[in-house]
Amino acid sequence: MDKSNIIIEVSKIFNEVLDRDDIVLNESTTANDIEEWDSLAHIHLVVAIERYFKIRFTSKEIQSWDNLGELVDSIQKKL
Amino acid sequence: MQEKLEYIIDTITKRNVLHGKKLKNLLTQVDINYRKRAELFFERYERFLIKNQKTLDFAIDCYLQMLADVSYETIQFVKTGQYSNSSFEDVNERVYNNPELMTGYLHGLILRQFLFPQNYKILMFFNSIIKKNENNITDYLEIGGGHGLFLSEALSILNSDVNYTLIDISKSALDFSRAFIDSPKVTYIASDVFKYKSRVRYDFITMGEVLEHVENPVELLKAVKQLLKKEGKLFITTVTNAPAIDHVYLFRNAREIREVIVKAGFSIKDELDVWSEDMPPEKAEKMNISMMYAALLTI
Repeated sequence: MDKSNIIIEVSKIFNEVLDRDDIVLNESTTANDIEEWDSLAHIHLVVAIERYFKIRFTSKEIQSWDNLGELVDSIQKKL
Repeated sequence: MQEKLEYIIDTITKRNVLHGKKLKNLLTQVDINYRKRAELFFERYERFLIKNQKTLDFAIDCYLQMLADVSYETIQFVKTGQYSNSSFEDVNERVYNNPELMTGYLHGLILRQFLFPQNYKILMFFNSIIKKNENNITDYLEIGGGHGLFLSEALSILNSDVNYTLIDISKSALDFSRAFIDSPKVTYIASDVFKYKSRVRYDFITMGEVLEHVENPVELLKAVKQLLKKEGKLFITTVTNAPAIDHVYLFRNAREIREVIVKAGFSIKDELDVWSEDMPPEKAEKMNISMMYAALLTI
């Protein structure tokens, strides 16, 4: 799956988990851009992403993402 | 000069935006004395770090590592509904007997006491309980003293003629608490509480965040009961739905904690529970949000 398709799928997950319908993600999106993206929401986002893509992140990876592009890179490496 | 609290929050926020969002609300969730108390603690803690050739930035690294470990464990917990540990012996070998990991973990835990509102509130509750009982304490024991902050608080409140004993299964924790408390009045003993034989029966025992570390908390409380005077008091804290690298026993709610207390033959004289997220209790319960629980018990 290429990066742009991963971002489309991850955007759907963000909207569902954060109970919104207007989130449009790009590679430079950070937690500062989305008010509801806090540490608790992050846990549920990671769980939903792992389930959807059938992957598992390491403890290091979960803390390493500074923006959405880095999260998408981690997903892509595992597919 | 920048205050220590401000420096710590700024540094953490730069490195962990998600946790920074949570820390932004810290001051709205604590009492009016918090800032003064926190500054005094952080100044003392920094002196302790410097004495041990360490810096506040080192402690922040430890705190962020602890958060990373908790996040990872929480993700597994959301998926499975269980803690990843089921054996005390495994945790003992992997965590308590690992000096590097344990020391870093203790730095993370001691910072958490003033950065998590629920931990701060429990510490203040403990202080109020100690003040209320100050005239009835001669022999004081802390089980699983960890970083030593609670015993240190008791030392600052109680009369000078109190005998203090701190036991911990981890040698690293004893080294840490001995250096942090820095008082000749305390006897430090490396022991598993199940194997601790004492001729003294204690007036007051503190056992903070220990019940969730064992496989059978009822048996643990029964063992502690043997160390308490008939009219003695036991202060405990524990957590619900709180996965961590060393948590074994899962309490799903405060009711389960109370059941364990009663099964072990104790009565609850006073208690406090604090959710870890600032949200309505009904929502927190539904989402299995972690809760800190503290209680004063008698036989």
